[in-house]
Amino acid sequence: MSATGTARRGPGWITRTFVHGISGWLTLLTFIFMLAPIVVLIAFAFNSGRSTVVWTGFSLDWFAKVWSNRHIARALNVSLVVAIASAAIATAIGALAAIAITRRQFPGRDVLGAALAAPLVLPEIVLGVALLVFMSYAGVSLGYRTMIVGHVLVSVPFATLIVRAAASSLDPQLEHAAADLGANEWQTFRMVTLPQLMPALFTSFILAATLSFDNLVMSTFTSGVGTTTLPLRIYSMLKLGITPEINALGTLLVLANVTILFLVMGRYLPLMLKTNRR
Amino acid sequence: MRRALRERIETGAMLAPSVVLLTLFVLVPLCVVAAFSFALRDPYGAVLPGFTLDNYRDLFQSVYLLVFANSFKLAATTTLLCLLVGYPVAYFIAFKAGRAAPALLLLLLIPFWINFLIRISAWVVLLGRGGLINQGAMALGLLDTPVGMLGTYGATLVGMVYAFLPITVFPIYAALTPIDRRLVEAGADLGAGPAETFLRITLPLSLPGVLAAALFVFVPSMGVFAIPVLLGGGKEIILGNLIVQLFLEFRNIPLGAAVSILLLAFSGVGILLYMRALGRVEAMK
Amino acid sequence: MTKSNLFLAASAIALLAAGPALAEDLRIYGWSGEMPDEVLADFEGETGITVTFDTFDSNESMIAKLDAGGSGYDLVNPSQYAVQILINRGRIAELDHSKIETYDNIGPSFRNVSYDPGNRYSIPYVWGTTGLAYNKTCVDAPITSWKSLFDEKYKGRIYMLDNMLAAYIAGLQVNGFSANTSDPAEIEKATETLIAQKPLLAGYNSTNFADLVSSGEACIVESWSSSVLQAIKDNPDVVYVLPEEGGTMWIDGYSVLTDAPNPDAAYKFLSYILRPEVAAKTTELSQTATVVTASRALLPADLANNSAVFPDEKTIANADFILDLGDAMKFYQDGWTRVKAAQ
Repeated sequence: MSATGTARRGPGWITRTFVHGISGWLTLLTFIFMLAPIVVLIAFAFNSGRSTVVWTGFSLDWFAKVWSNRHIARALNVSLVVAIASAAIATAIGALAAIAITRRQFPGRDVLGAALAAPLVLPEIVLGVALLVFMSYAGVSLGYRTMIVGHVLVSVPFATLIVRAAASSLDPQLEHAAADLGANEWQTFRMVTLPQLMPALFTSFILAATLSFDNLVMSTFTSGVGTTTLPLRIYSMLKLGITPEINALGTLLVLANVTILFLVMGRYLPLMLKTNRR
Repeated sequence: MRRALRERIETGAMLAPSVVLLTLFVLVPLCVVAAFSFALRDPYGAVLPGFTLDNYRDLFQSVYLLVFANSFKLAATTTLLCLLVGYPVAYFIAFKAGRAAPALLLLLLIPFWINFLIRISAWVVLLGRGGLINQGAMALGLLDTPVGMLGTYGATLVGMVYAFLPITVFPIYAALTPIDRRLVEAGADLGAGPAETFLRITLPLSLPGVLAAALFVFVPSMGVFAIPVLLGGGKEIILGNLIVQLFLEFRNIPLGAAVSILLLAFSGVGILLYMRALGRVEAMK
Repeated sequence: MTKSNLFLAASAIALLAAGPALAEDLRIYGWSGEMPDEVLADFEGETGITVTFDTFDSNESMIAKLDAGGSGYDLVNPSQYAVQILINRGRIAELDHSKIETYDNIGPSFRNVSYDPGNRYSIPYVWGTTGLAYNKTCVDAPITSWKSLFDEKYKGRIYMLDNMLAAYIAGLQVNGFSANTSDPAEIEKATETLIAQKPLLAGYNSTNFADLVSSGEACIVESWSSSVLQAIKDNPDVVYVLPEEGGTMWIDGYSVLTDAPNPDAAYKFLSYILRPEVAAKTTELSQTATVVTASRALLPADLANNSAVFPDEKTIANADFILDLGDAMKFYQDGWTRVKAAQ
């Protein structure tokens, strides 16, 4: 983590110690800020009592409980399906639109750009209720389909704007160079543009999946019979109090995430990110 | 000529999915909301057909103006804090973290894989009177008696920054990564100081990301409702709570719809400003 | 183990004997935690009906969800005032009591509830109270009255439920009014009381208030009985009381939706859960009382005598139900908006 990056020429050390130094310390503090609550959460997964706030002793019971809870397993499954599907769709739709907006001339470009951000400005509850009214009027039964549509709406502004920001800061000279070297348009896109956009696409997918996984409001209005997501299940536990079972589940999810991070992405992503670095 | 036609078809194909999505699932439902905002209701919350401007007239009561002011203050403060903290973090991840960059980004998202309510409970543990921060400060002799931090505006801001920081970092990171480092180094080679290089090259190039981040934080902050309740005590009424209250608790859908339309108009202006700024930044190149 | 296997085998034979077993589904939209998984599994085992049990987090979001119609559920689990709204919105059907074999097991005091006289639209099932909870370590003497929620002594350590109807229970009863008043003057007085109370509050919270009182962050909180039971089990310093002014009762019952795809299965379920042994199991696993009076005798003594679960008869008689008051709701809503906007 303290890697100083690739060596640079010239008086780069000034930049490193000055700008980078400050950014390094701030990043460290930020990560402490972001992860300290997670340490607390994981600690409480081992609480022997039923509280997520008051510590009473050590136990592994909650992990056993999660394992045997059929509702939680089912809800986790629903959440993962919806998160992955909606993130993939939102990223695809958002990226296509973002590339068209930054690269092509067409009437109504600004309007579309603004409209794609619209779901962001509508309070989710309003969009949720409106969608529910519309879907039931159209006779669409609530379930995976409606919930995926809802989640795509929530994340498509993020996907569009992230890809758009990346696409607009690309260096057009690279593409011109490729064209000068005889590459056709598709080859240029595939070999030059797309690799440069990969970090943005990846970012947008992960962000969209994460937002979906944690979404409550849109799910409340678009879920149907048998498609209760994890946040819906957890919120419904409020009346009787949330137990460390949920912390245990969160701990397992974090563990799974970190494992995936190191096994798959740790190998593949740095390579991918490097290709566009220089 | 044929090339132009092909390009046009391609553009159409690229735009079709988003246009269909927006028309069917945003525009149409929005029209429903707009229609509701002029409708009447019965005591049990049914929306009755009819036309009235009363719902909008109701909005000019001092209560609702206060709600708008409260929400604006919260959203603006949150956005400012998130950008101040988020930019350096994105900068570090983009240029300094090297191979660790994807891992750091994912690490930033890890909190989101633990449910929101549980995350907030963790802040209750940290900020509470018997919590780690108070206990730590007392052990170090900095405090004699625990300080009540929950139920304050500060606690709300901690929760807001915690929730929106990742959303700030991501677009800035996405805009920073493609910046050609040779430009920056060229600047440095030409004798520009680090601050000047940053201000004249890096910052302008990353502005689209900064603008996107500001939008991502500001707009949802205007409609937030759970964090100020769970950490700040929910004593200050804001738009998000008002809308939830009108739609769910009061079952006054027409008035809720009117508030939503007003918020939409307000945010629409924000988006247009953002789009204009983005267009200007994109045109600079 | 063997017992349940035997039982499964027996029910399988019974099913075969009854002819070709049709895969039947029952879809329930209910509160989480009030209907134990074991009860659902037993019901599935006995009847061969597959139960899908989806959960909601509040009556308000449940109503919004069902309001559009076509939800696909057979049974819903509303609290009393939500029953009134669902009746008015035409979402729940009139019940055929003859199809509920065990209807007579419902205790007499739950037969004629004010929100649904004669139980025409809803079968009450679990019930509890709304009162207050406090942490013994931060009060000098036992608390018995709503007045403590308005006591300067506890400034900054008090939480009220973040729910209009719940907040007005305390606001009205502390002034000696009924929690169900439709009188604008009484509601106005309660509104003033709640506005005056605001500077004393740490906040409004209907989410994690049990944790707040258990950790000592809060001294006194307005509370639903079911929400603090876990905290009480964990921490002996936490006490739940129904205040001397009365407090209120809540009932979560079951209603059949008008567009239920499988009402027959819904009736079978209602008949099943009203059996004393099933109700006892529900109480034991969820720590909430049911309306099946005979089930109390089947419970372990410590649970049957737990006053937070089963308040005595006098206390119950003293408590009101929170109802939907139709036109009078607008006085509450205007008042509550002012309370929330006050500094």
